[in-house]
This record gives sequence, structure tokens and C-alpha cells, in this order.
Amino acid sequence: MSEIESPQKGAETAQPRQTTTGESDEQLRAEWTDYDFDGEAKLAVEDLDVHYGDEHALKGVSMDIPERSVTALIGPSGCGKSTYLRCLNRMNDRINSARVDGSVQLDENELYQEGVDLVELRKRVGMVFQSPNPFPKSIRENISYGPRKHGTIDTGLLARLFGRSDEESEERLVERSLRQAALWDEVKDRLDDNALGLSGGQQQRLCIARALATDPEVLLMDEPASALDPIATSKIEELIHELSREYTVVIVTHNMQQAERISDQTAVFLTGGRLAEYGRTEQIFADPQSQRVDDYISGKFG
Amino acid sequence: MSGATRTRLIRSNTTTAVAVAAISIGIAAVLFGLGFAAMFELIALTGTLVGFPTLTLLGALLVVQGGAVVTFGLGSRFSVVETNPRPDAGAVAAVVFALVWFVGGGIVASQLFGLGLVGWLPAALLTGGVGFAVTVLPGEDIGSTAPAGAVAVLTGLVFLSDLVGAQSVWGLGWEQQASLTAEFMIPVLTVFCALLTGWAAAKAYGGFGARGRRAGAYLLIYLNAGAIVTVLFSLVAFTLFKGLPGLFRGVAVGAGVGPQSTISLFGFGFSFSLPVAWPFVMNGVGLLNEFNGVLPAIVGTFWLVVGAVLFAVPLGVGAAIFLTEYAERGRFTQVVEVATNGLWSTPSIVFGLFGFAFLIPRFGNGKSLLSGMLTLGFMLLPLVVITSREAMLAVPDEYRDASAALGVTKWQTIRSVVLPAALPGVVTGVILGVGRIAGETAPILLTMAGGVFVPGSQTANVLGGFQFTASPPFVANPQLLEATSALPYQLYALITAGVGASGNVGNPDEFRWATALVLLAVVLSFYAVGIVTRYYFRRRLNYE
Repeated sequence: MSEIESPQKGAETAQPRQTTTGESDEQLRAEWTDYDFDGEAKLAVEDLDVHYGDEHALKGVSMDIPERSVTALIGPSGCGKSTYLRCLNRMNDRINSARVDGSVQLDENELYQEGVDLVELRKRVGMVFQSPNPFPKSIRENISYGPRKHGTIDTGLLARLFGRSDEESEERLVERSLRQAALWDEVKDRLDDNALGLSGGQQQRLCIARALATDPEVLLMDEPASALDPIATSKIEELIHELSREYTVVIVTHNMQQAERISDQTAVFLTGGRLAEYGRTEQIFADPQSQRVDDYISGKFG
Repeated sequence: MSGATRTRLIRSNTTTAVAVAAISIGIAAVLFGLGFAAMFELIALTGTLVGFPTLTLLGALLVVQGGAVVTFGLGSRFSVVETNPRPDAGAVAAVVFALVWFVGGGIVASQLFGLGLVGWLPAALLTGGVGFAVTVLPGEDIGSTAPAGAVAVLTGLVFLSDLVGAQSVWGLGWEQQASLTAEFMIPVLTVFCALLTGWAAAKAYGGFGARGRRAGAYLLIYLNAGAIVTVLFSLVAFTLFKGLPGLFRGVAVGAGVGPQSTISLFGFGFSFSLPVAWPFVMNGVGLLNEFNGVLPAIVGTFWLVVGAVLFAVPLGVGAAIFLTEYAERGRFTQVVEVATNGLWSTPSIVFGLFGFAFLIPRFGNGKSLLSGMLTLGFMLLPLVVITSREAMLAVPDEYRDASAALGVTKWQTIRSVVLPAALPGVVTGVILGVGRIAGETAPILLTMAGGVFVPGSQTANVLGGFQFTASPPFVANPQLLEATSALPYQLYALITAGVGASGNVGNPDEFRWATALVLLAVVLSFYAVGIVTRYYFRRRLNYE
């Protein structure tokens, strides 16, 4: 902590890192991004390249993400961290010009191959976006939207007519998801109100609840707190901490303090779409191995 | 008031000068209103108004108004009144005044002094130049008041001196014997002078400068908006007053006075009489009728619109979904877009010809309700496509992303998120389209026929016309293949039929106006339904 706050000291400790030991850049990078952790890798990414048209947005990124933990992705704008995130549930497929090469495995199932069921994938890998984007529907409908469309919950007209409506399980699901997202107490009396009437922070927690309602294993978050005030942000941070007991959370953030507070491991992307360093959060922030990462986290650029 | 001195931060609005300017604005508004009233013959130029001959009153008001405006400008120039003028009145004002003075000078020189082209052109150029110079050179306060006020004073003097009297006719000497009568000239001149001096007075009220310009612009905008609203309302009111007598002719209320109606349910028929008799909307035309009406045309218009909407909305919305959600944006969608825009601006008679040449031979070789419905449906289609597409493009991509990230398929996303969010826009498009097709005459003329006086037996009974048969196609509706009438067409037929053919409706003029009123009411009620629908869908999207 103190090293980050005093650039003087940071520069001092960074000095030895500049001495070359005869290793090439590639070897160094492989060393710096090699992160050993106990347990299984939930997501294994190998040599991932992404092109948007002519633009090479992500260059040869390999990093494994451990289960039930929080992984923070930090780096300056345009460094490819959101692109990386969007590869994990194949949201990049929605961009026409995007081309993805390399391998992403979820529980050792290759995601980039023929025959992957995107519906099933996105049920298991949920996503929360930068700006809160609830549907212009009631709070209840927002939560049960995913399960209803997947057919897990059926409250349609015919289901109600034939007496096989799942209204009770819908109620339970709505309550559970909202409780998980720490929103239940604030909205329990107005579940049928339009979600657009909520405040920004509440809307973002609703979006988290909506993502949780499909019972995912991994939760991807793309700067979920960037549009929120400090109080709402701290609520979301607590929430992420809670969620990491059950879920694998991958979060993109611009806020380095936030990454340090909430994550178990941190990946630093630097301009050019390369992964610069990846490791335990304390280690990255206290003792970064590369000079550029040190400069970035101590605020010298970016 | 040069740049060195600062204007006061707080302006009190109660000084005498400001009050005079305000009164001057009021006079301008009164003149504006009087001009319009005279144009629509609400006040007679030859009569009197509050005790004075109308023309004298108008002239006097113009002189007073012009004088007040000029005085204010002079007062400002000689610092009697505190204002904040700019160095000149602006390029637009200069051009406008130069033109006004050019035209004014030319007319005076050629008409009053009888000068030929060689005489009046230099005179007009001279006055135009003077107008330009006065506007530009002496500063904003003189520049925007003097030319306007002088025009008003001159016009007022012309009215007072009887140079243009209430009976004057100005023969333009063109081949067509065109002439301008006083009934047209005087109102136009009055309104024009009211606008000019009103603008000048408003500028004076604001103390010239930026504030004054804003005040001048506001005045013009408000007068313009007021005039538009007035014209629209007078149009509706005109139709209403002309149409009401014919519409309510022979209305009776009481048990059993209405026409016999029969409702059949599962073979049992209930017969009853409505407690209201409203011949104009409940009868057709018949020899035995005491009062005649336009029921077949009302029913025809109703079914036409319903049929066209049922045909065009699903197809149009479907096409819009394909174009926005599925088709790759590129040359193809561009071509389709241009084509739909072109179709929407295609003249309706062309659609009518298409219906006549293509649909009629295929539906029993005679004019029919179905052909009319489809023709109008084709007309409505492009607008539905265009507006639905716009509405769907306006749905934020975040909704689509959020839905995709939840693992929801594209089609389910469209159905549950995109379409509901786009519905208000779609409904708006349908409202606009219905407004157009419900009043179309030309396509109906060619595809649905009708007649001048349509007998009650030609009323389309679409719901009762369905017949179920044991052999394919199992359901038929001969009523759809019958020729019937619609309000716009019947109105057209009534007007073009002439006097001789109208013996069998008591008062043909009343009959026509009542038909027009019913057409207006039917179109407006379609509008009302559409607006309520849109309001409902909007409420569901927005929190309140």
C-alpha cells in the first residue's frame, strides 16, 4: 500500500527490474503472466487473438482463471481488457467485424468450436455491463426474464390456464436473486414498478440480480461501478465479495484501488492488447515485476 | 449608449416608454387579428366597427401604430429612452426593408403617378435604396423602427384618404383578367403592417440589442403560431357549423324509435329497436326514407380502414423486423429503404390504377370492398415499414446485449424486448397512415365504386357475411366482394353530381356538409383510438 502511495519508493524498488538478465521479451512476459494457483482453473484461455477488422485488439493472451474467486482486469483504455472479457461468453460474436483465434475453455470444454450452444454458455457465464441496462419492464419481469425465456419458469397464459404455472417458484427466484444482489429490502414492496424508476446504483444491482437469476457459474462484469457514486460503488463491491464464495467473478475496472480491494488476482493489460502481468493481487500491487506495470499502478501513466 | 457605458443589470419594466411599447405591441396584435377577421369576412370592410367605419378605424390604428414606433426609435436615438441598440439592424432586416420599400415605391410610382417602366423602376430602386440605407446606417433603434413605422403610416394614410376604398378593384391587366379586390388587398396590407410594426415595437420593448431581437423573434413566432392554430380551428369549426344541421336532421330519442336490429345467436334471433333514431348515420338513401343518410359510406370507410390495417401492419412490421434485426446493413437494405420511401410518396391514383388493373380482375372482375381494402393496404404498407424500422432502430442496443448475455435467443429478444419498446413508434406510424388512407378518394374511385346516393341495401355486412362451407376454402365472405361506398368518395360524388341529380335528398348542400363532417369525425376517431393505444404502450414502458 505504502509503495503505491509514494512513487519515490516505488521507483527505487523498480530499479533492479530494469536490469536485463539476457531473457527475451517473450520469455519475460511468459514468466510475469505465469500465475500458479491451487485448485482447478474455471476458465482456461490459451493464445487468444482478437481482430476487429484490421485492428489487432488482443495479442496472444494466455491466462487461467481459478474457481470461486474474484479476478480483476486492469489497464488503460483500449488495452483489450473488455475484449478479453467479452471472449469469455462469446459476446464478441455479436460484433460483425470481430475475429477470434485461440482457445477458451470453460471447465475444460472448448468454447470456440462448432456446436457450442450459445444459450447454454451464456446461462452459465452471466454478464453485467458498464452502464445499468434494465429492460423497460417491471422489476419482477426483469429478474424472471432469463428463466422464463429458457423455459425454467413458465407463467404464460396456457400454463396458468392448465394450472401448471410456476408463480411460486418465480416469487422465490425473484426474492433469492434480489437478496443476493442486496436489493431486496429496497424494492420488495414495489416489484411491479418499472425498473427504470430505480436509481442508477439500484439499477446496476438489479442487473446483477438479473444475471444471477439464470444461476450462472461465472459472472463477468465490465466496469460495473464506473457510472455510480461512491456509496453505490461500495455496495457493489461488498456484493462482489459476497458473490465470490459461490461464483467465479471476472471484473474489468479502471479503478486500481477497487481492484486491490476486491480481487484475489489481478491481470494488468497494457496498451497494444497484451497481457503484461498476472498474479496474486497483493503481489501485483506490492511488488510488480515489470517496470511498465509498476509505472501504471503507481500512476505514472494511464 | 456606446460600448464604454454599461447597461444597468436590473431593468425595471414599469417605465412609461416600456408601457408605450407594450401598448404598441398590443395594437399590432389587434391589427393582426382584425386583418385575419377581414380576410375571412368575419368583419365587413364596408360596415362599421365600434362606431367607426371599418376602413377608417384600420387606417387610424395603422397611423397611430406607425407613429408610435417611429417616435420610440427617435426617442431612443436622442437618449430620451434608455435602450441598448447595436450599430445596425442586421442584414436580414436590411434586405426585408429594402424589398418592402422597393415594392412600395414601385407600386406608388406606377399606379398613383401612372409612370411607365422607365419611370417606376428608378423610383422603386430609389425608395428601396433609401429603405436599405435607413435600416443599415443610423443604428439599430432608428433602423428597425423608422422603415417599419413609415410603411404603416403610409398604408394608414392610403386607407384614410380613400385611395384604396372598400370597393376598389386593382386590375392587374393580365390576360386572365386577374384583379385584386379591396376585400383581399386591405386585409393583407393590414396583416403585413401589423407584423412589421409589431416586430419593431417588440424590439423597442426589449430595448433593442440582443434582448430586443429576442423579443422581436418571439413576437413573430407567437403571432405565427397563433395564426396557424386559428386557421386550423376555424377549418374544423367551419365544417362543424355547416355540417351540424344536416347531421342532426330528424334525430329522435325515445323507446322504439330507432331502426329494427336483429342479433342472431346460435339460430335464435333477437329483434329490438334502438332507442335513438339518427337518420343521417343510420340510413342509406331510399325513396321511402323520410330522411336520407350515409350509413353505407360510414360502414364502408370503417371496414376499409380496418381491412387495410389488418393487411398492412403485420406485413410491414414483419418487413421492418427483417430489415433492422436480421438483414445485414448494406446495399440491399439501402435499396429497400429508398424503395419504401418512394412508394410512400407515390400518388394515390397510381395505387388506384394498380388495384384497378391487378386486383379487380382477380376478385370477381367487379369493384369490391376487398379490392379497396388491399389497395389502401398497399398504400399504408410503406409508411408502416418506415416508421416501424425507425422505432426499432431507436431501441437501444443495450437491451439486445443484455438479453443476449442472458442466453436469450434473437427471436425471443425481438418479441419480448425490441417489439414492446418499439410499439409506440409503430402505433404512431399507423395513426399517420390511417389519417391518410381514410381520406383517400382516388384509389376507391377505381377499386370500390359506390355512387352518389347509396341505398341502405349496399351497406357492407362484413361480420354477418361469413359463410362456412363443407368444401375448401371452407369460409367465404361474399360481402367483401360487393361494391360499396366510402365517405371521401361519396363526398366527391355528391359535389361533382351537380344540382340536378340531388332531388331526392331534401337539401343537397346540407347533405354534403354533413357528409364532410362525418368523414372528419370518423378520421378523428381513428386518431383518438390510435393515440389512446400509444399512450397505453408508452405508460407501460416508462415509469411514472
